[in-house]
Amino acid sequence: MDAERWQRIQRIFNVALSLSDAEDRESYLREACDGDDELEAEIAAMLDEDSRPDSLLDQGVEQVAGSMLSASAPPPGSRIGHYSVKRLLGEGGMGVVCLAEREDIGGTVAIKLLRDAWLSPTRQRRFQTEQRALAQLNHPGIAHLYDADTLPDGTPWFAMEYVQGITLTDYCRKHNCSIERRVNLFRQACDAVRFAHAHAIIHRDIKPSNILVTDDGSVKLLDFGIAKQLDALDDTSGKTRTVLRMMTPAYAAPEQLVGDEIGVQADVYSLGVVLYELLTDRLPFDLSNLSPMEASSALHGDTPVKPSENDIAAAGKAQWADLDVLCLTAMHADRSRRYSSVEALIRDVDHYLDSEPLEARPDRLAYRAGKFLHRHWQVASVILAAVLVGVVLSVFFTIRLSAALDTAVAEASRTKRVQQFMTNLFQGGDALAGPREDIKVIEMLERGAATAETLASDPPVQAELLHNLANIYQRLGKLAEADSLYAQSLERRREYFGENSTEVAESLVAIGLLRVDQARLEDGEALVRDGLALAESLLAPEHPTVIAASLALGQTLRERGAHDEAITILAQTVEHLAATGSVPMDQAAALSELAKAHYAAGHYDDSASIYRDVLQRHRAIVGNAHPLVAGDIASLAAIEQDLGYYDKAEMLAREALAINERYYGVESPHTADNLTSLGRALLYQQEYEEASEALERALAVQESAVGSSHPLVAEAVNELGNILAMQDRFAEAAANFQRSADIYRNVHGDRHYFVAIALSNVAYMQMKQGDYDKAEALFRPVIRQFTDALGADNVNTGIARIKLGRTLRLAGRYADAEIESLAGYEILAAQASPSISFLRAARDDLVLIYEATGQTEKAAGFRQEIAALDNDATH
Amino acid sequence: MQLENNNDRPALDDLFSAIYEELRRLAFVVRRNEYAVTLNPTALVNEAWLKLADSPALTFESPLHFKRLAARAMRQLLVDAARRRLATKRGGGADVQWVTLDESVHQLAVSENELLALDEALDELAAAEPRQAEMIECRFFAGQSVAETAELLGVSEATLARDWRSAKAWLAQSMRQAG
Repeated sequence: MDAERWQRIQRIFNVALSLSDAEDRESYLREACDGDDELEAEIAAMLDEDSRPDSLLDQGVEQVAGSMLSASAPPPGSRIGHYSVKRLLGEGGMGVVCLAEREDIGGTVAIKLLRDAWLSPTRQRRFQTEQRALAQLNHPGIAHLYDADTLPDGTPWFAMEYVQGITLTDYCRKHNCSIERRVNLFRQACDAVRFAHAHAIIHRDIKPSNILVTDDGSVKLLDFGIAKQLDALDDTSGKTRTVLRMMTPAYAAPEQLVGDEIGVQADVYSLGVVLYELLTDRLPFDLSNLSPMEASSALHGDTPVKPSENDIAAAGKAQWADLDVLCLTAMHADRSRRYSSVEALIRDVDHYLDSEPLEARPDRLAYRAGKFLHRHWQVASVILAAVLVGVVLSVFFTIRLSAALDTAVAEASRTKRVQQFMTNLFQGGDALAGPREDIKVIEMLERGAATAETLASDPPVQAELLHNLANIYQRLGKLAEADSLYAQSLERRREYFGENSTEVAESLVAIGLLRVDQARLEDGEALVRDGLALAESLLAPEHPTVIAASLALGQTLRERGAHDEAITILAQTVEHLAATGSVPMDQAAALSELAKAHYAAGHYDDSASIYRDVLQRHRAIVGNAHPLVAGDIASLAAIEQDLGYYDKAEMLAREALAINERYYGVESPHTADNLTSLGRALLYQQEYEEASEALERALAVQESAVGSSHPLVAEAVNELGNILAMQDRFAEAAANFQRSADIYRNVHGDRHYFVAIALSNVAYMQMKQGDYDKAEALFRPVIRQFTDALGADNVNTGIARIKLGRTLRLAGRYADAEIESLAGYEILAAQASPSISFLRAARDDLVLIYEATGQTEKAAGFRQEIAALDNDATH
Repeated sequence: MQLENNNDRPALDDLFSAIYEELRRLAFVVRRNEYAVTLNPTALVNEAWLKLADSPALTFESPLHFKRLAARAMRQLLVDAARRRLATKRGGGADVQWVTLDESVHQLAVSENELLALDEALDELAAAEPRQAEMIECRFFAGQSVAETAELLGVSEATLARDWRSAKAWLAQSMRQAG
């Protein structure tokens, strides 16, 4: 039929319709068709159809769908593989499930068949996903997969364990289960989900009808039909989103409803709703008649009625308080406040069942202490000691300080086993006596390492503990111990998680950073790069592990003196974090690292401006009184100190000190660190008395906290040496400098520039005592060390050369002296504030050298520079 | 039929999959005689739209565009199903026979041949006037109202009512001739 003919048909048909009289119609039709009999018959037939009310098109598509997509199933007696169909168990969107019997060896199974498999690859894939999930999940709480194949007509099927039971909610109602029993059943369901998560499978459709309880009271998790393999290299989120919407809205996490990327916490949410329903016999929200978007915002906006406020009263009041917390934490709309994993949820379920304090209590510390004190005072003191140690330990790095160790300690206290471990760590031999008051961190760690050995039955926990202990050892400067523990942890992780795993990547990065501390910079860089590459191959670029590895690489390059490369990588990381809208805290951490790199490169202005930015960000996140803020201020103080603005450095150090004193108390290692900086600033302003007071206080606190061979002690000892030197007590000063050199060498190895700094000071004391030969013999290797470790144009190299120049001048070796003083002068003049005292010293020396050698013009040049600066200073 | 182009089919797999599941729900409800309580073809299309709206694989110009595609997908799915059923009835020689579970209580309202005849007649109509074939898809297969269909096709409601009447009559007589 062509368009023209169809036009004509319609025209005639419409006119004919307008004629009500049958005879009129007939004659019009005959006339209009003008002898075209076929056309006339066709339009007559149309008019006939038009008068019938029951055309297929009037019935609607429902009837067609009902007829074409009728429910069908293999009838009883059909053979599927080795099985014979008994009866139909059920049908769903995806297919049908039949009860069948194995013909050769007997036994009953459930067979699931994908109906109309031809229809779409998506459905086939989803069917296979379920099959694969079941094949991987060999757990008593999850139906086993027995067999899978395809029928001759192409229909895929699989046979699985036949679970004869009723849904979790029905079971509890039918048996009128106690709260205790309900929570126990719930825990079984959680355990099955935990197992699936451990195999990287998210269920995504957890609801009571997918949790069956068998006659013997065991729980089985069913229907992995929309489960998702957690895979970093997964397909685009689009496909996942499509599937997300297939789940049951009442149990779906808000992020699922709006189609956000989801993780294991979506299952945690669903479990929370199931628990709510188990406890109260009702759902927390009525989401019927809401669109997914509306439902999601309802979940975010409304706080559900606490389970205890529903009118049921079986458990006691205290018990209900814990159940409320447990339930509402599991189903918190805000993922950051939800249990981070099913393990965490299970731990609190166990705490509840054992009448122990929950981890999720909002007023965690006070609550925990209160509850424990009530039960076992000695355990309470142990926990408090653990918290204290978390605080104490976090001192060990600042510009230096970072949150990483706090995180490590928090991680370490996460699992129950780790808690037990911490308990043992602090208890020592005598459980009743409680921890000794004078216990040292190192002692505790040694005890901890020994205890970790006994955890071989739980490799992931053991590996994590070893890793954390190694980290703490590393912070304490015990590098050999750290090395051995990291190696053990890596070995366990390789065995348990496999070579290509996030855990191995983390270990490689950590060991790389340790190599840096051991001054094995090339090894360190290679390891960090390996770890980063591995992490990048497994995880999304904004994953915290990848970010941490990138920061570690930046740090490694900085230590190696590859400042430009370090700055490039860190700047990229910072940019990337900003672009992906990541956590503000992470962004600040990355910026800090970048600031450090600029600082090391001698870009003091860039470094200071980034630190000021970080400071502002930290203030916005944690307020003005937090140690993080103090850390940033201390870093700014260090920059002012290096620039020679000692008064500003003093002011900033006092500010940082005040914050930490309020936060940690007066006698903490944190304040000790600030006292050291303050002492140094005072020292350079020649406030000797105040300076030595500050430094002696710092030294005392640090020695008691970390023992006498820690780098922090070395730093305080070094500053005390400075004070002695300024008071012309050179021999005593030299002894102090030598002591700090020994500590640094012990910790960082011979080649580290800290060792060179301390030795440079020893050499200077020799010069002050008039032993120029000895001084020169010490200076020369020191300068080589600086040049190797930091570069020929580094400030420290410059200062050492200026000092050597003075030594040589005093020895009357003017030609040699000129080379060193001039080189040192040029190095410092290129990068720092011109008022710095060493630069002034170099000028003084050069004037004297040139005068002594008759080069009066050159001497006059430097004299003028000095006079100009003096003038400036008096204005 | 654009969708019969095999190149399009993989990209629209999500659409087919979602529509299929919705159609199955619809079929299930119809057989239970619970039809019209909550689910009707319009709701079905909306439901499928919600499931697919964010899918980057399917860039719809608009919800209207989506509805037109969905209507076509529904037609094609049902016609495919009818062909399969006929093939099975003629005896595919398969080991396993799928039997309709509730044949006894439910008399087939529509035969496979009837639907296939409609499909063929629609193709013929499309050759003469593609917009009217699309109108049938939207009104019949996707259950859209007169007003919605008029909006989808960009015609007045009066035009649509007139076209609907003539197209319906012509399709019906064409199907009767085929049967």
